[in-house]
Amino acid sequence: MHISDGVLPTTISLATYALTLAGTALSLKFVRPEELPKIAVVTSAFFVASLIHLPLGPTSVHLLLPGIVGALLGPAAFLSIFIGLFLQSLLFQFGGLTALGANALMMGVPALVCGLLFQLIRGSSLLSNTIAGALAGGLGTFFSASLLAGFLFTSGENFLGVAKLALAAHIPVIIIETAISAFTISFIYRVKPELLMWKQR
Amino acid sequence: MDRSGTIIHVSSTFAAGLLFLAIFLSGLSIVLLVRKWHREPDRGAAPDWSIPTIDAYADTPSFFHNWDPAVKIGSLFPYCFLVVSLKSLFWCAVALIVSLLALFFSNIPWQRGLRRLTAMSGFLLMFLLIVPFTSPAKPGETLILLPMLDSLPFHLNGFYLALTIVIKAFAIALMMEPMLGTSSLPITLQGLVRLGVPSAIIQMILLTHRYIFVFQQEIIRMYRSMRVRGFTARTDFTTMKTMGNFFGMLFISSFDRTQKVYEAMLCRGYQGSFPTFSLPQTRREDLAKGGLWIMIGILLLVFDRTLPVLAP
Repeated sequence: MHISDGVLPTTISLATYALTLAGTALSLKFVRPEELPKIAVVTSAFFVASLIHLPLGPTSVHLLLPGIVGALLGPAAFLSIFIGLFLQSLLFQFGGLTALGANALMMGVPALVCGLLFQLIRGSSLLSNTIAGALAGGLGTFFSASLLAGFLFTSGENFLGVAKLALAAHIPVIIIETAISAFTISFIYRVKPELLMWKQR
Repeated sequence: MDRSGTIIHVSSTFAAGLLFLAIFLSGLSIVLLVRKWHREPDRGAAPDWSIPTIDAYADTPSFFHNWDPAVKIGSLFPYCFLVVSLKSLFWCAVALIVSLLALFFSNIPWQRGLRRLTAMSGFLLMFLLIVPFTSPAKPGETLILLPMLDSLPFHLNGFYLALTIVIKAFAIALMMEPMLGTSSLPITLQGLVRLGVPSAIIQMILLTHRYIFVFQQEIIRMYRSMRVRGFTARTDFTTMKTMGNFFGMLFISSFDRTQKVYEAMLCRGYQGSFPTFSLPQTRREDLAKGGLWIMIGILLLVFDRTLPVLAP
C-alpha cells in the first residue's frame, strides 16, 4: 500500500524527502559507476514482479518485495527502490509524487535491514537459505507496514484508525510474502547461488 | 460547559432507510462479483499487465507542451507542495478546479486523469470510511449520532478532514499529466538534470523505464508457457511454490541480461552518460508561466490561511 498525495502534512513530506535523498546519495556512493546500468535493469524486473497479483480468496494481492530486493542488491537496494517507486508514481499513480520520500523510506529501510539480516543468517545450506529468505520476505513486509502505520500515526491523531486498519490489511500479505520469498530464494540458491552474495559481486 | 458542540440525532426511520440502502448496495455488489466470478471460466487467462506510456500525448501543442520542462517541473513541483499544505475544504476544491483546467488545457485525454484517480481510490476510500468514526472528540464539534451506534459517533470534522485529503490527492494526481506527460520522457528527465538531479539517477530511470517493457513481455511469455502446462493461480501451496519459482527465474534472467546489456552499451561507446543533442533554451515566456503557477499556489495558501472556509 503506497501513501497518496495529500495525506501527510507538508513538514513530514519534506522531511521524508530529505531523508530519502540522503539515503539515495549514500546508496549511490556504495555502488561502482559501471554497476549502475545493471542495477537499473534488475530494478525493472522487480518493478514488473510487483505488478503480478496473486489470488487471495475472492480478491488478489500484489507483493511488495522489499526483503528480496534487499537480499539480492544489498546497499544498492535503496537506490533501486527509489527509482522503482518514482516510475510507479509516474506511470500508475501508485503513491503520490509529494509522498515519494515517505514511500521510499517505507520500502527502502526495510530492504536494507532485511538484506543485512539475510546475509547474517543465511548460512550455507539450502534449508538455512530458505529460512533466511522467508524471514527477510516476511519481516520486510512487516517493517514496511509498520512504517506506513507509523507515518500515518505521526501525521495526526485522526489517522489512528486508518493506521490500525492498514496494519491489519497487511497480515495476509505478510504470510504470502513469507512463503513466496522462501520459494524464490530457495530457487535462486539452487540455480544461481552467486546472486545471493552481493559482497563479492 | 466547554463541550457545547452540536449533536445531531438521526431518527431511527432515516437510519433504517440508510441501513437498508447500504445492505442493498453491498448485496448487489456481492451478487455482481459472484456472477463475474462464475462468468469467467478461464480465471487463469493472461492477466492485464499492461503498462501505460507516460509520453503518449507529448506531441500535441498546448500551454504545457510549449513550456521548457526544467521550468515546468521546477514550478509545478513546488506548486504541488503548496497544494498539500492547504487545510480548508473550499480552497482544496479550488485547487482541484485549477488542476482540472490544467488537464483540459494540456490537451491530454481526460481518461488518463481518470485512470490516475481510480488507481488511488482504494487507499482514499479507507480514509473516507474510517476517519469520520475514529477522529478524537474536540470541544464544540458537530457529531452525528446514528441509532444503535451510540458509542461510534460520526464526527463531521473527521469527515471534512477525509474529504480534504481526497480532494488534495485528486488535485495533485491530475497535475501529474500536465507536469510530466507533456514532453517526451527523455526531454522531461533532461529537465530534471538541469534542476540539479544527478545524471546517474536520471540514466538509471531511463534504462529502467526501457527494460520494464522488455520484462513485461518476458513475464507474459513465461506465464503463457505455465498456462500451457496447466497452471491455474489459486490460493494454495502449489501456487505459492510455482510463483516463487517464477519470480526466481525472472530475477535470474534479469541478472543474466544485465551483463549483456552493459557490454552492448560499451560496444556502442557508452562512457557513463547518454549524449544529449539539443538543449532547450529557457525563454522569458517559460519563466512567466512558472511565476504564474507559483503565484496561484501562494495565493491559494494565503486565502486558505486568512479566509478558511469549511476547515476541519
